[in-house]
Amino acid sequence: MVMDASAAANQLVLRRNRPGTSAKEFCGWQDEPFEEMDSTLVVQQYIQQLIRKNPSNVELILNMPDGQDEGVWKYEHLRQFCMELNGLAVRLQTQCFPSTCTQMTATEQWIFLCAAHKTPKECPAIDYTRHTLDGAACLLNSNKYFPSRVSIKDSSVLKLGSVCRRVYRIFSHAYFHHRRIFNEFEEETFLCLRFTHFVTKYELMSKDNLIVPISDNALGDIPGESEA
Amino acid sequence: MDGLSINSFFDNEGGDSANGADFLDLDFTYADADTHLNEIAELYSYTEHNEFQLNVKAFEDQMEVYNLKPLWQQLSKEEHQGIILKLMDQLEVLDVNMRMKAARTLLYLAQGCWVEVQSDEEQQKLTRYNVMMLYRLGVFQAFIELLNLEIENAHVANVAIRKIAVSLADSVDLRVILSFLYIITEVMRAEKERIETDDEYKDLVETFIAEISQPMGDELLAVKLLGMITRFCSASAPHFPMKKVLLLLWKVSLVSLGGTDTLKRLKNEYREKVGLSSVTEDTIEVSKTMRASSPPPTVGADENLNQKRSRNFRRVRNVVISEVSLMKQSSLDEQEQLGMELEAQNAENEEDISDYYQQYDDPMNGADRADTTATDGELTKQNSLSNTQPNHPPQHPTLPWQPKVRTKDIYQFLDVSRQKFIGYSLPDNCETTAGLPKPICEGISILKRHLYTSLADVQIKREEEITRNPLTKGEEDVDLNPTEVLYQAILPNLPQYMISLLKILLAAAPTSKAKTESINIMADVLPEDMPMTVTQSTKLGIDVNRHKEIIVKAVSAILLLYLKHFKINHVYQFEFMSQHLVFANCIPLVLKFFNQSIMTYVGSKNIIPIMDFPSCVIGEQPEMTSDMVIGDSEPYSWRNIFSCINLLRILNKLTKWKNSRIMMLVVFKSAPILKRTLKVRQCLMQLYVLKLLKMQTKYLGRQWRKTNMKIISAIYGKVRHHLNDDWAFGNDLDARPWDFQAEECTLRTCVDRFNNRRYYSQISNAIRFPDQNVNHNQNNVNTNNENGVFNGTESEYNLNNIINNASFGDINCIDDNFELTNEFKKNYEMWLKEEVYCSEENAIDWEAILKEPSKILINEIKNSIHYTTYFMKCP
Repeated sequence: MVMDASAAANQLVLRRNRPGTSAKEFCGWQDEPFEEMDSTLVVQQYIQQLIRKNPSNVELILNMPDGQDEGVWKYEHLRQFCMELNGLAVRLQTQCFPSTCTQMTATEQWIFLCAAHKTPKECPAIDYTRHTLDGAACLLNSNKYFPSRVSIKDSSVLKLGSVCRRVYRIFSHAYFHHRRIFNEFEEETFLCLRFTHFVTKYELMSKDNLIVPISDNALGDIPGESEA
Repeated sequence: MDGLSINSFFDNEGGDSANGADFLDLDFTYADADTHLNEIAELYSYTEHNEFQLNVKAFEDQMEVYNLKPLWQQLSKEEHQGIILKLMDQLEVLDVNMRMKAARTLLYLAQGCWVEVQSDEEQQKLTRYNVMMLYRLGVFQAFIELLNLEIENAHVANVAIRKIAVSLADSVDLRVILSFLYIITEVMRAEKERIETDDEYKDLVETFIAEISQPMGDELLAVKLLGMITRFCSASAPHFPMKKVLLLLWKVSLVSLGGTDTLKRLKNEYREKVGLSSVTEDTIEVSKTMRASSPPPTVGADENLNQKRSRNFRRVRNVVISEVSLMKQSSLDEQEQLGMELEAQNAENEEDISDYYQQYDDPMNGADRADTTATDGELTKQNSLSNTQPNHPPQHPTLPWQPKVRTKDIYQFLDVSRQKFIGYSLPDNCETTAGLPKPICEGISILKRHLYTSLADVQIKREEEITRNPLTKGEEDVDLNPTEVLYQAILPNLPQYMISLLKILLAAAPTSKAKTESINIMADVLPEDMPMTVTQSTKLGIDVNRHKEIIVKAVSAILLLYLKHFKINHVYQFEFMSQHLVFANCIPLVLKFFNQSIMTYVGSKNIIPIMDFPSCVIGEQPEMTSDMVIGDSEPYSWRNIFSCINLLRILNKLTKWKNSRIMMLVVFKSAPILKRTLKVRQCLMQLYVLKLLKMQTKYLGRQWRKTNMKIISAIYGKVRHHLNDDWAFGNDLDARPWDFQAEECTLRTCVDRFNNRRYYSQISNAIRFPDQNVNHNQNNVNTNNENGVFNGTESEYNLNNIINNASFGDINCIDDNFELTNEFKKNYEMWLKEEVYCSEENAIDWEAILKEPSKILINEIKNSIHYTTYFMKCP
């Protein structure tokens, strides 16, 4: 009887964050193997589970399960990146103001236009960040290009490249102008590391454009503070 | 002409020098577009020649930055990708020079890295490879964004507006962007055509078609380009390079909607869907089996030439015949392919020729036959392609077309016969033949055998049903095919677009005078510095003419393509567009276009082959000398015949079965103009001219018919007949002049009802299509677009537009038919006070009526009630 009950309990794991769940217990349910996930959002669920387990294990997180559609895999990862990048954006808001960072720059060499507008504009860095993340969210959630999260049209997969290029500039701006925030964030999430691996793996960006230095122990070596 | 050797069949004086050539059938094949090579070459003006070097320079500089040798072909595929991705990053930087440098480098790649290649073929191969890679990496989309940026570049526009002479220099950046987009589109079009045999890039082509058929961001690419054209015509952006915009619009539409083959397939598909048989005859195919008629004698301007010819005509006829027979040997091969017996051919051929000329000796012969054979039941056996049945008596070569009968014709015929034989009419009954004599019954059965129901008939009938039963029949699923998407997108501004396109057509017509034009379409051909030497100015002269010709070609192709697609998609979409074309004076404009020395136009040589891309950049470049060859070896100009045919087809589409518009052809004296056009010995073109003449023959009067019997015979021999249509001599009852206005109005009502029901009904049934408030609308579109990306789905966007229309277009909300009474006009302030300002508490003072029950007051109250309800309906 006891055995049965525990088996039944096992079956009945509800992976849900009820109102009032404390931060400690947030998403505190047990892992489920990818094969057993049966919702329509399996890929997202699987990716998030891996990240929760160990965000620094970039290789594992990016390792596509067998038989998985590559378009969907890329799409879900990019979705996840954009979601997590909001965390960086929130932190940046405490330090990056339109008056101080008037333009979206990384190194002084290139200033970028904000492509979220019909006519691309010269937005301050923080606005660029917000607009780009909004624009990306809008695109990735658009019914027209991504009506399904189970299969994705080739034409829509082609759109992911430009999102990556634009989103990456947020990393590079944070790195070159708000190093402390960047480092704090990166230590927690390893997001830039993961992103860099992602775009390199799927050839979504040219290596030369990945200007934020990344190596496995790079994060420890970088000096703590370098304010813009 | 400064010693330039002119490789010309006809010289510039018209057909004079080419008497011999006049007897040649032009070996012209109509298609959706010219060869890929020519279509690419036409993108560039000769004055843009220097800019090619800038592209290489940009590429070399860029490669230096990357520490690579400027040799594209030696790099690996991964390196190619890396470079393109880097360049794309650079496309989004703030510094315009950096941006344009990347754009130029990408353009150079799309142009096929021509510095590294030795031949045209190599260049094309490389272009194909590069274009596919560029598209896969999303560069097309990136350039669209760049185009958005450049369209809104207020600085450049302001500079251009203030300038007296806008030149090439004002549109440098725009031209780079448009050229790039055009090359991608054109390569995709060529790829689409050979997809059957080579499907290496099938997926990419399909992705491309899907992408340009849907709004990008918030706007369809075609609509964006149409918007550019409208802005150019409203003089707020005189620097827009119209030729490139038009060419891109044409190609984008062609790739997205599909060409002749798609049209044919769709037509049959749609016909099948509504239970009609598919159409087997194809005008272009049938016309290939025809032979051009010899030019009509004695027409206006070419009096001398023709007199000379007609004097000589009889004398040299034998010679001519033998010449023609020799000529015909070549076309035999063609006919052989149609699977005909060669022997029968020969006999047939000879007979045919003598018969052909016999017609001109004895024109009445042909016309008589028209009467006898037209009612002859034998016609049914005749099939378009079997018009040379070997066992058929040579005296009776068959007609190329199956005759057709409309349902309306059967009713008419029955009605007339019943009136005549039994003295009463049975409206809406075409079944019973009771009381009618046998010959009449036979007639009816023949008519029925040739009954042809067009897709339009079915669509109109369905629309009528929906109007009658809006609740039960009103539901319908509108298939969002590319045509439907396009129509919905251009609907709010369609009148403006049509006017703009026609304005450009007018400005580009060879007969228009440069000075009288309000718009200057030469901005993207004239260099900043005017030519110094005679050679240079000759070159510029050719360039300018070539530029105009290409514009005419693009505009005519766009209009025809849209008309054809709208027609099969829904006839009222077609009618909406064509009505606006007619309102914008398209008919006289096209006639004006043909009122020129047509032989000169068709034979024009505005081309310098060695200046064409890619010849002008591959290999050693010869010095610009005076012994350059102008013109190619072709006896005619492909693009000009193509434009002529397109324009004639547009005219046909506009006027077919529309008496009011046919009357316009008569009023604008089209007959002599069209007659002159017949001089071009090209079957398809002649066929469309003859069709136009046929529909107006009965209005032209006896005298005209008498002097133009040859044309009448040609019409008989070449144009499709409707069995009981007495096109040449009849007095059509429904062609009375007083009906014309009504006809146009009825049509308009139907079209409005259709548009309202299908496109505006969710918002308010009171909104008419925004004819007058387009300016508001334009502004609204702009303000809407400010929050562009975040604007959600397309339907939401349309909704916004329509709501804006509604709020701005309150004048349009009021039904035209509603007349305000004088009393109301006088006392509307009181009405406002009582009915609008103080509403609920003292709604209507009913007591007032009882106090003073005068008729006027009652009327007024009636009005006010009507108005209150009316305004409550409006949003």
